[in-house]
Amino acid sequence: MATPSLLFWRELRLSRMILRRMLQIVPLLFVISVISFALVKLSPGDPVKMFVTPNMHPEDVERIRRSLGLNLPIYEQYFRWLGQIVHGNLGYSLQNSQPVLGQILQRLPATIGLMGTALAATLIIAIPLGLVAAKYENTWIDRLLNMISYISISIPVFWFGILLIEFFSVKLNWLPSLGMQTIGENSFVDLAQHAILPVTTLTFQGCGAYYRYVRSNTLSEIRKSYVEFGHAKGLSIWKLLWSHILKNVMLPVITLLGMSLPTLISGAYITESVFSWPGLGLLSVDAIFSLDYPIIMAMTLFSGLMLILGNLFADMTYQFVDPRIRK
Amino acid sequence: MRKLIITFFVVIMIAALTACGSNNAAPSKKSKDGGSITLAVPADPLVLNPNYASDRVTLTIQQALFAPLFYINGRNVTPALAEKLSVSKDQKTYELTLKKNLKWHDGKALTAKDVVFTLNSILDKKQNSDLRGNFVFNNKPVKAVALDNQTVKFTLPEVAPSFQLNLEQLYPIPQHVFANESNLQKSTKNNHPIGSGPYQFVTYKSGQYVELKKFNDFFGGKPHLDKVIFRVAKDQNAANLGLQNGSIQLKAIQPADVANVTGKGNVDVVSYPEYRLNYATFNENVPAFKNKTFRQAISYALNRDDIIKSAYGSNKYAVPASSIFTADVKFQNKNVQTYPYDLAKAKQLLDQSKVDKKQPLTILYLNNNKAQESIALYFQQQFKKIGLNLQLKPTDPAAWGNYALNRKSTAYGILLNGYIMGPEADTYKVLFQSTSPYNYANYHNAKLDKVWDAASVETDQAKRSADYDQIQNKIADDAVLYPISYDDALFALSKKYGGIKEAKPQPVTILRDLSKLYLK
Repeated sequence: MATPSLLFWRELRLSRMILRRMLQIVPLLFVISVISFALVKLSPGDPVKMFVTPNMHPEDVERIRRSLGLNLPIYEQYFRWLGQIVHGNLGYSLQNSQPVLGQILQRLPATIGLMGTALAATLIIAIPLGLVAAKYENTWIDRLLNMISYISISIPVFWFGILLIEFFSVKLNWLPSLGMQTIGENSFVDLAQHAILPVTTLTFQGCGAYYRYVRSNTLSEIRKSYVEFGHAKGLSIWKLLWSHILKNVMLPVITLLGMSLPTLISGAYITESVFSWPGLGLLSVDAIFSLDYPIIMAMTLFSGLMLILGNLFADMTYQFVDPRIRK
Repeated sequence: MRKLIITFFVVIMIAALTACGSNNAAPSKKSKDGGSITLAVPADPLVLNPNYASDRVTLTIQQALFAPLFYINGRNVTPALAEKLSVSKDQKTYELTLKKNLKWHDGKALTAKDVVFTLNSILDKKQNSDLRGNFVFNNKPVKAVALDNQTVKFTLPEVAPSFQLNLEQLYPIPQHVFANESNLQKSTKNNHPIGSGPYQFVTYKSGQYVELKKFNDFFGGKPHLDKVIFRVAKDQNAANLGLQNGSIQLKAIQPADVANVTGKGNVDVVSYPEYRLNYATFNENVPAFKNKTFRQAISYALNRDDIIKSAYGSNKYAVPASSIFTADVKFQNKNVQTYPYDLAKAKQLLDQSKVDKKQPLTILYLNNNKAQESIALYFQQQFKKIGLNLQLKPTDPAAWGNYALNRKSTAYGILLNGYIMGPEADTYKVLFQSTSPYNYANYHNAKLDKVWDAASVETDQAKRSADYDQIQNKIADDAVLYPISYDDALFALSKKYGGIKEAKPQPVTILRDLSKLYLK
């Protein structure tokens, strides 16, 4: 049992770790922004040429380029952009002239809803299945789950999505296949109906990796002496799995989860594309194809921020799951 | 944890059990009016303001929201907002008369002042409209004055036959909405556009849909359908499945999709001329292609019918091309040199050209265009037959302009491309004149440049026709480009809908007038 003074020092150490990480965010984001901006600007293509039509006079094209500040040297364009960011202005899309922040905020709920549900469903399904597969190692259950996990990892997402649409939307006509709501309807049930197929696609895709992590870690834990000791004390294997082994198995899963957090806002382009889900994945990839750098930069910064926070979350969660780390 | 799992599955089960299909409101069987239609579009619209619309999606939605002065389809010109357009004898003054009692969606009157405002906003350099070039001739802008509420007088700085077509295609925007806006392109008024088309704006959800409702004061009569929805469906395979399950009722499709979308028997496929030329151009910056005999040799080595079949799977939706002008241009002359397939002649000319056969040549095409990929592979195969080495160069659409719009580029020998330039012959000159930024062939012919310029201001139609004959023949003889096909456009429409003929299929926007579609 820790004394109050020991607890105080642990809390202080945790607070200092969080503070240190928070202070690292600004320079990290700065470095990310410099690299991303350089990559966007050095990639082949010219955003102005994307909307040039033969009817446009060359001087009109140049005027548009000047008005967007694209005639300036790259470093000057960067500092202009940075100046806007510091003032909380993410700029305007080059394609549709709409404020970038507005577009991101408009699509954020759909992305978090889809990705969050899929991530939660993945964990809810993959973790128990990983434990079960380890418990029944080398039986038909284990082999069946392994086979499904291989399929989950290797199946192309777009193909699986199309397959689900073909079966559930075209053949059975049970579920809608496009968008996130029926036009004119605003109910939760309608939203859930639209979410079933994309969530299923993402969950199936994600389960394989998590399942394999949990299974292999459970197998290495199950052979450790504390499990044998638990057996000797008369604890059932299920009790051991849920109460003791799972905690140790969760460490690599937490790392994986921390790394997955950016997808909560960056979205899943292919799934969003197949199901016409209005997420940020589509917005980002469309921006990349049209060299719409204000949107690309904003999304890169948000994803970078989420990755840093995801790692911080993972480090903090370790301390709660494994008391040894706290020491 | 257990509660969480149970809750999740309950939500899934409830949703699945309560799932339903399409929700189109069915109209009364006796009436043609009522109901709705959902059209699939592959992307979000950009700026819903006609001064800035240039992509297919925005133009398609714009066609329902805004009305032009005239409808143009091929050589047919039909008055829309306009009643008539007259031109002075010297062809420098035009007088436009609008129909009476025209209204904007907010109920305000649409007058000559709106037309003048639209033109001036396009001409205003600060507004960055990509249409500005349509109304500036020799660096001098067209001047417009409203004579009364219905009449506008346009004064041109010089004779410019392309002006009439550009004016006819003008979509007025409301002065009372935009008058105080300093930046029309970024104006928040574009988020709730007020137009004069058959349908008025209701809502736009980014990445999802644009919803419109019928405009009862539309000059063309009350629309039949109550609502029109443009559903953003990025993945074309999934959107085609949407046609089959009824969640989408109208969608532009590719020839390769016909068998798939008609499988369930619930849609009709409609094809119509898009007046698009699909072609391969030869880059004269590359030494081998500078040689006219070499270009002619290559042209003889290619078979249009085979190219069309390899690109589209059949020759049902494209016809072999000859002239650089499409069928909507009244000066089109199909009797030009077409280089019929003749491998022996190709080899003979190739030897005559004395071009080094071992040097690698490149063909540039878009990496997201299956038809172009098939054509490029066909070219490669045919080049091999005459002993040439053609290397494929697929490129991203974003990078395409870096090569194609660089007039000093030697990065491609052959460029696969297509154009819809419209019915005015003069607009085609930007693709062929020596100093034009869009002269993808880098073709230089000072004499022909002068003929283009002379034809553009020639008021005698017979002389103008002779000029354009000369141009078409010379470009064909010089094998500046290899015209492949005049392509049709296709769309699939649910069999529940009638009025296709009245809605008039047209290039780019699919239909001219959605108000004429009705539920059977």
